[in-house]
Amino acid sequence: MKSLNELKQNSEGIVASIDGDARYLSRITSIGITPGCHIKVLKNDKNRPMLVFMRDTMVALNTEESRNIKVETRDNQ
Amino acid sequence: MTDGKKTIALLGQPNSGKSTLFNGLTGMKQHVGNWPGKTVEQKQGGFTHNGEEYVVMDLPGTYSLSANSDEEIVTRDFISSGKADVVCILADSSQLERSLFMLSDYAGINVPCFLILNLADVAADQGKTINADKIRSKLGIPVVLMSATDVKKYDNFFAALNEALSKKTTLDISSLEAKYSKLDGFEELKAEIPENLIPGCSSTWMAVKTIEGDKVVRAKIENKLTGDSLVRYNSHAARFDKGALLTGECKFSWIDELLSDSVNKVTQTVKTSKLDKALTNKTWGKTVVVLIVIGGLLLSFIPAIPIMLLGGIFTALAVPVREALTAANASPIVTGIICDVILQSLANIVKMLGFAFGINLVFGMFEESGLMARISYVFDNTMSKMGLQGKSIMPFLVSFGCTIGGASSSRVIDNWNQKVLTIALAWAVPCGAAWAIIPMLAANFFGGYAVLVIIAILLVMLLHIWITAKIFGRKLVKKEDRYGIIMELPPYHKPKWGAMLRFVLGRTKDMFFRVVKVIIPVCLLFWILSYSGGNIEGSLLYKIGKTIEPVTKVFGMNWQLFMAFLASSIGKEGAVGVLTALYSQSGTIYGAVNGTNAAVANSTQLLLSNISGPQALAFMFAITFNVPCVVALAATYQETHSAKWTAIITGYYTLGALIISFIVYHIGLLIM
Repeated sequence: MKSLNELKQNSEGIVASIDGDARYLSRITSIGITPGCHIKVLKNDKNRPMLVFMRDTMVALNTEESRNIKVETRDNQ
Repeated sequence: MTDGKKTIALLGQPNSGKSTLFNGLTGMKQHVGNWPGKTVEQKQGGFTHNGEEYVVMDLPGTYSLSANSDEEIVTRDFISSGKADVVCILADSSQLERSLFMLSDYAGINVPCFLILNLADVAADQGKTINADKIRSKLGIPVVLMSATDVKKYDNFFAALNEALSKKTTLDISSLEAKYSKLDGFEELKAEIPENLIPGCSSTWMAVKTIEGDKVVRAKIENKLTGDSLVRYNSHAARFDKGALLTGECKFSWIDELLSDSVNKVTQTVKTSKLDKALTNKTWGKTVVVLIVIGGLLLSFIPAIPIMLLGGIFTALAVPVREALTAANASPIVTGIICDVILQSLANIVKMLGFAFGINLVFGMFEESGLMARISYVFDNTMSKMGLQGKSIMPFLVSFGCTIGGASSSRVIDNWNQKVLTIALAWAVPCGAAWAIIPMLAANFFGGYAVLVIIAILLVMLLHIWITAKIFGRKLVKKEDRYGIIMELPPYHKPKWGAMLRFVLGRTKDMFFRVVKVIIPVCLLFWILSYSGGNIEGSLLYKIGKTIEPVTKVFGMNWQLFMAFLASSIGKEGAVGVLTALYSQSGTIYGAVNGTNAAVANSTQLLLSNISGPQALAFMFAITFNVPCVVALAATYQETHSAKWTAIITGYYTLGALIISFIVYHIGLLIM
């Protein structure tokens, strides 16, 4: 299991858990990221937000905050 | 429920096409202001269908109904206030699973509603087939599959609206409630909350928000409960940890069941387009964005120029009108007010509207097409340091051309506070008018050193933005309101010019009246102050300037320079003309500002022999960082809807310019 912000471009997995305060949890679930959902990293560049793809949607996420999202990757990517 | 008119509230996540539907329904009949007492933009409009009048409220586009932002609180409060007869909930058909979250978050609110599955065309292109009737039978409310861009095909929308209004259709949430009740402790918590404790909200909805840690809902409930039930409520509520995840899972599993047999599952793969590859490129992305914005600015002149030329009619009209009035022996005051103030202002206003129209059309297209979200992504890290969204980069870039355009292009920023902060900062960017006169002045006074002056101005600009971001940012975008980006990058849509054109025209008409209210009085005041009836010494401005000269000299300005400085708040182009008029004792100050004075020979020589090096340097900085122009001020008022903040920004820049002038003058005295 890895933090989302540690995942490299094109790696994918299933969201296992999410940490953070009530506001963060509410914001992240309302855009569709919940435990159990499939997520793919499209971009993870320095000094840029991350770009991920989930529930048919491309989403930009603050890299630092993405540390809160733990992802179960398939083949130890 | 105003005057028997039915009120419809539009509710949907960003990119659900809510604004498109709003514009399609209301067309030209819309009004933009702020929610009373709130720093959130309110869009209201109206339309008539089958002889019935309707009011439409475009609620802020938010991802949920939680209390994460002022926008969400405004949305929630409006719905539970009972002012809406019906709520129209929108979802994006191409991303149905995710965008139905708003519906699941609404579930439990008792206001009648119906559901629009918008962007049906995009979903069809993806090969998705959606059975709206099946969804309808599960939800118990009218469900319409449509494309809001197709303004001619709103029949199903109106049918659903009428049904929702006449039958007062409310959402059947029994299957969602069944999921919630499996959460450990949910039923106990719910039992403590009476129905409608918050008007329009069921116990279920309030219990869900309690679990999610919604402070506003909790405070309201705690306020009304007493004794044992309050103690029990709090102890049940305390049992939930990371509640938003629990309820989020319930909501999405409910959505999954809802869609299981009504949508064919087409697995979407991400296709990164060439444009996205260029935009998200680590090295070139920012350059691509800057080029796109410059391209957009140039493109905006195509629709703008014909309108701007129309403005010239008023300038041309001033000549025969002046002749006629003079022939009729009208008082010079009447002639002055009609020709110099009203006609000249109208010319400027029409030019401004033309420019703003072009900007709004092009940048509105950027927004509509999905490009704006990419721009926001690319500049997020840079702009978030100042508490701004990435797309705030655009008004900054446009302001190098013209601050009016900069202020107008801030319209795409969906948070009011960030919008005001963006405009406040964009004023510090020297505009085209400054670039037209400063290099020339600098070259006249300092020869080859002019380059250093330009570099110094750019450095001061960065410093100004940094300081202004600190000062204004503290008040406008508070620390606790700054959090990382969580934003959807929607698929590219083909923009619909027709609908956009109609909408922008409507806003331009609205803008005309607002702008007239600012520009005519300011110009009239300046005209009265500068009116002399003969030579310049007769004017109030001269008397004031002369009297306070000992003070203005501290800032490096004699009375002539100070007057030119004041005149530059009306328009920077005129600043040099005012100096020429004052030193040559010809023409009028007002005429100089508008460039209607006769040309003066040897004007450069005139300035060089009357103004010292340090004075000239201080003056250049002062006018560069002064209020951009009266029209930019009007554009700021138009976009912020706030006389208070427009006045604060104006005062700040006038004062700031004087302080900069003071510092530069004294540095100039040391080095020259």
